[in-house]
Amino acid sequence: MLDLDPGDELGLVADTARKLADDHLGPAVRIAEAARQPAADVFAAYTEIGLAGLELPESAGGAGQGALARVLVNEELAAVDVGSALALDPLGLALYPVVEMGGESAAAELAVGCAELGARAVGVLVGADAQMDEGMDLQGDVASGSVPWLPADRVDSLVLLAGESMLWIDRGIDLAPVRGMGLRAAGASEASFRDAPLRERFVDAAGAARARARGRLYVASLLLGVMRAACDFSRDYAQERQAFGRPIAHHQALAFLITDMQMALDGARLLVHEAAWRIDRRLEASAAAASAYAQCIDAARSIGPNAVQILGGHGFVADYPVEKHMREARSLSLLWGGFDAAIDEAGRALCRHPSPLALGLETGERA
Amino acid sequence: MDFAIDDATRKRLDVAREWGRKVVRPVGIEADVEGRPIPVGHPFFERCIERGEGRTRWGGPGSPPATGGSVIATLLLAEELAYWDRGVMIATPGPGLPEQSVLGIGTEEQKERFLGPFLDPDRPRWACFAMTEPSAGSDAAAIRTLARKDGDHWVLNGAKCFIGGASRADWILVQASVDPTKGRAAQRAFFVERGVEGLGPFKIEKKMGLKAYESTSFSLQDVRVPAANLLGGEERYERKAGFKAAMQTFNAGRPIIAANAVGMARAVLDESIRFAREHDLLGQDRVRDRVEVMARKTRMARLMCLRAGWLADQHRANIVEASMSKAVAAQVCQEAATLGTELLGLGGGRGDHLIEKLYRDAKAMDIVEGTGQIQRMIIARQLVGLPR
Repeated sequence: MLDLDPGDELGLVADTARKLADDHLGPAVRIAEAARQPAADVFAAYTEIGLAGLELPESAGGAGQGALARVLVNEELAAVDVGSALALDPLGLALYPVVEMGGESAAAELAVGCAELGARAVGVLVGADAQMDEGMDLQGDVASGSVPWLPADRVDSLVLLAGESMLWIDRGIDLAPVRGMGLRAAGASEASFRDAPLRERFVDAAGAARARARGRLYVASLLLGVMRAACDFSRDYAQERQAFGRPIAHHQALAFLITDMQMALDGARLLVHEAAWRIDRRLEASAAAASAYAQCIDAARSIGPNAVQILGGHGFVADYPVEKHMREARSLSLLWGGFDAAIDEAGRALCRHPSPLALGLETGERA
Repeated sequence: MDFAIDDATRKRLDVAREWGRKVVRPVGIEADVEGRPIPVGHPFFERCIERGEGRTRWGGPGSPPATGGSVIATLLLAEELAYWDRGVMIATPGPGLPEQSVLGIGTEEQKERFLGPFLDPDRPRWACFAMTEPSAGSDAAAIRTLARKDGDHWVLNGAKCFIGGASRADWILVQASVDPTKGRAAQRAFFVERGVEGLGPFKIEKKMGLKAYESTSFSLQDVRVPAANLLGGEERYERKAGFKAAMQTFNAGRPIIAANAVGMARAVLDESIRFAREHDLLGQDRVRDRVEVMARKTRMARLMCLRAGWLADQHRANIVEASMSKAVAAQVCQEAATLGTELLGLGGGRGDHLIEKLYRDAKAMDIVEGTGQIQRMIIARQLVGLPR
């Protein structure tokens, strides 16, 4: 029966991530953004506590944790600095197509190629709206194309998930730095590759669907962290800042706005957790994960700008973190296919069932 | 973390689903078409009694306090029944909304007298709770119905409105004030029995939706009730627990209303998919996008509702979560119904499609048990200390 308590093991994982974020990420956010990467000691601490291989199968040298662990960790790190959270994870979104379509041995190879501190594998979901601005050209064993923005200044492996196919490229990738709207501690580049040799190519519709779902929860949980930070900061500010003789939070217009922001965050988080639970139980999760991702984006569309709105002019300047939250929430919302691709996949999956949310059938063991 | 439904609850849901499909929805549609509450003599109510509906959770004289079972299971069943028809669910016989207050603070004599007939009812019986007044809805502390002590009786004068099932109830738990200028501290609840002099007349309102159950306005003119009809006894009210008793009922109700709204939103979702399939519309992006947003938000509202219930099951405070579930689910329900009518196109304007009925039914969910705005005030008091 329903139990929303994470339990001892997952609770410990989340606590560990929160401590890392508070001790290492928080004090160095601006430094990491200026350097476009976290400091070396932060990478070392991250790796030492085992987060670098959190979801990597144990056979590949990882911790073998599931989607719930991932979403709890991501929220904690992203609540402090989401750019650093992206930069610190050597495998990131690239892991999902590789492990779901190539298996544990392929995941182990990916990890070996990113073993050096600061190495990055980057995953891109190539959607119908073409995250790759010139599309992708595949000729035999070589691929050509470009990606207009990746939140990375270093790419050791580029994993492209397009429909049922996954392309893994680890040579011939050119990066041109770009400024980036946010996520600056992760770096920002335009990637291009011409006649780049394929390291691997896998075709597997079911594996691709699972990879899309896991990737969506990865991004969604980062959004949860950013939204939480924006909600918390703006709410605290609204209780301090006075206008017309009382805290601005005590004017009903803002009190209701703050309430709506918190409700949006809480609802999105529950969707993410339920979808992650489904993945860990090996239940059908495509629609649940796509909906959770879409709802996080939907919530972020309002929470980001409204947090700035609560601070007024102060919100618009970089002295306060909410403008960063707004930029980063928007940037994150563009990763891994974006809103339209998600609702399209969820809508198609839902419409296949006459009663897609039927109680006892939908949330139970029937996959 | 676990989001699974246990086997016992799943079986209860299966039974509710069959009952809902075969009986509840057809009766609800019938009431809607005929534009009146289900009549007292309708065979539906006899069927309810035959299958054991309408009984109290009280165990009888000397029994241990009723636990009420799992709140989560209650919420899931509330969702399932409202999926088939919320109006019929509310019309179903039983001690209803005031039962929790009687179980919580009623004297043993009051439990026996007022819940006893619901132990094994010989016929359909109802009870109801009367708080709302023409000039006091959301602000429940502002009720003006006056209670005046006269010897060993209380005399009640006032007017109540939008009370579910009042004209057919064996008794009405009437919230009144001994001094309307003193707000909550002066409030008391009284059992007013059917047929007592001065009670009525009853006016059954014509409603936009949820027509299967009656919403009734009535007046109390010099209604005399024995002192023994004061809920909990005089001693309890000397401890200023009167208003709390009423609000206790409301607190228990918010997630249930939210679950009802989720069930109704889910009904819209399923009817939308059915309509789209029958009219070969599932290939259209605009159709699938509407289905997606309905399903996404309905799923979210359900989880918020279950979170509130889970906290209650853990005996943990759920004020914020209960109000959040109510505020969100009611909005989601209305939004789903709105999107559903858009799928129907002009067919939505004919007035004979289930989605059109659900659109009319849905609006009440953002009004009953505290409007969405009241829920936000409750939440904001907790989140940012919004002054009362």
